Amino acid sequence: MRSAWLDGGRLRTVDVTPMGGGRYRLTVDDVTLELEAQPMGEGSLRLVTTDGAVVAQVTAAGARRFVRLGHLDFTVERTVASGRGGSGSGHAGGLESPMPGVVTRVMVAAGDTVKKGQPLVAIEAMKMEHLLRAPHDGRVKKLRAKAGEMVGGGVPLVEMDAG
Amino acid sequence: MFRKVLIANRGEIACRIAATLREMGIRPVAVCSEADRGARHTRVADEVAILGPAEARASYLNIEALIRAARAAGAQAIHPGYGFLAEHAGFAAAVEDAGLIFIGPTPEQTRTMGDKRAARALAGGVGVPVVPGAEGDDADALAAAAKKIRYPVLLKPALGGGGKGMAVVGDEAALREGLEGARRLALSGFGDASVYLEKRLEHARHIEIQVAGDGQGNVLHLFERECSLQRRHQKVMEESPSCAVDAPLRERLCGAAVAIARAVKYRGVGTVEFLLGPDGKFYFLEMNTRLQVEHPVTEWVTGVDLVRLQVEIAAEGRLPLDPSALAARGHAVEARVYAEDAARGFLPQAGRALRVRWPESPFVRVDAGIESGDEVPVHYDPILAKVIAYGPTRERALGRLAQALDESMVHGVITNLPFLRALARSPDVARGRFDTEWIEREFLDGFAALAGAPVPEMVLAAAALAEELGANGASHARDGKVTAAEDPFVTAGRWRHPGLS
Repeated sequence: MRSAWLDGGRLRTVDVTPMGGGRYRLTVDDVTLELEAQPMGEGSLRLVTTDGAVVAQVTAAGARRFVRLGHLDFTVERTVASGRGGSGSGHAGGLESPMPGVVTRVMVAAGDTVKKGQPLVAIEAMKMEHLLRAPHDGRVKKLRAKAGEMVGGGVPLVEMDAG
Repeated sequence: MFRKVLIANRGEIACRIAATLREMGIRPVAVCSEADRGARHTRVADEVAILGPAEARASYLNIEALIRAARAAGAQAIHPGYGFLAEHAGFAAAVEDAGLIFIGPTPEQTRTMGDKRAARALAGGVGVPVVPGAEGDDADALAAAAKKIRYPVLLKPALGGGGKGMAVVGDEAALREGLEGARRLALSGFGDASVYLEKRLEHARHIEIQVAGDGQGNVLHLFERECSLQRRHQKVMEESPSCAVDAPLRERLCGAAVAIARAVKYRGVGTVEFLLGPDGKFYFLEMNTRLQVEHPVTEWVTGVDLVRLQVEIAAEGRLPLDPSALAARGHAVEARVYAEDAARGFLPQAGRALRVRWPESPFVRVDAGIESGDEVPVHYDPILAKVIAYGPTRERALGRLAQALDESMVHGVITNLPFLRALARSPDVARGRFDTEWIEREFLDGFAALAGAPVPEMVLAAAALAEELGANGASHARDGKVTAAEDPFVTAGRWRHPGLS
């Protein structure tokens, strides 16, 4: 089975081919691994290769996977293998809520002309205020933020015309 | 002695206070917001009162609801913890007016020290130097003062503390733009929109002295804490003693702290914070009239339970300790585990902590507010836990801390654990070579490069195989027990994460 993953901004793919007896061939991007997987319950997997063994603990939280290898922790995100980011991060020019929080101020209205760097929306979470700023000169096309509203992380709040 | 005490707080500190109350034979009463129903701090108490909706103003800052809850439960006293209403004189007064005992200083002392402007005047009055600064609500006046003492300056909530709501501003435009946000944070964090500004000293260390007073003018100190490892003015790792403080300097710092506390006949435990310049000169910063987040490092080197000390002072009106018998032994280091994504600008995180494991070993203490299955709400400070290690030497304490952080695991909510692990192993930290801006100036870029590196192939292999085998652990079990991991470096080979070996 082929699966696609987001690792930071990178799209990475894994092909899993069962070979019987708990043995698998995996191709991660262009690296091929052969190993034996022994489920140990509670989300732990013992992965045995010709070099030795490692215990991985994988926890799913929505699309996100928390993976612990030994004492190192990593986070990746399951996505569809379409060749681009599943959560759409990045392409809204940083005008998404960077974290779950409460919109405290909306400083512009749809149709406003704004200058690069101008604060548009303020979000407060855990006593930190974060300002969303215009990434370039332009016009505010759509505004999805309302003061006092609670928003999740990664939610588009402002749409701007291309610069 | 009290029979029942209401803890007006949440999270790790509410749990920690409850532990000492129980040991003293006092029944802890918890409070919570609607977002915190079932939270760990409510599970460790005998009874729970729900204060109101999630927003702090409607719940943990709701004085009326807190006093009503204390009365309904039949508590004799209220412990405020840190943050929320811990340094709110109006709360302390309301508690006393209700015929209850406030475990902390008098409202008057809280008001004086809580108003950073009055505290600075007081310190100056007893001959302790203060950092140059200015106050007032007028933007033009503040801008003029900032120009005079020269940028960069810090904007601070006048009634704040703990580094919350502070902002560095480098020029007049930033000062004017930042003022409104700073006022808003001051209001939401501390219930008062006043701010003041202070010169930002460069290459300074943050050293603080733990003090305790009986309210009649007897004040003792419990030595220093080194809290220079900060990110955006938030302490991330603290220790005691400080490797920058020798015996003569310790004597002068402790003497200054005691003089300040004695000047107000301080009652309860408190902390006098100083900035220590690279030239060895120190300046009074502020006094925190409450228990500090980092109090465990002092507890470990002195053997004094600071919560017990608070409760005994409040109940008996005297200091139960003989200052001449106090000594600090060994070294303790604390790391603060926050729900923050260190790889993405330390953005606060929220969600369900599906699997949580804390280290269990000799010489390691964990003050935790969450266990497996607990919700981390967006509404409050993102601190999840503190991991504290002790050793006969600084080196041993740091080594144990690094090991303890390795053994800590939080899955479900992204935490700063990878950041803390890297920090605990930093050679500069090992040498004690840092100041309050060192993390941002010298550590963060290297960490960001490390955190931004592609994950090893084995990580993706494990994630894909877990899905294939239906072995994604989303255990909601609260015991937090997860099978011990084997050493991954047996097989590390090509999968070794760059720089993490």
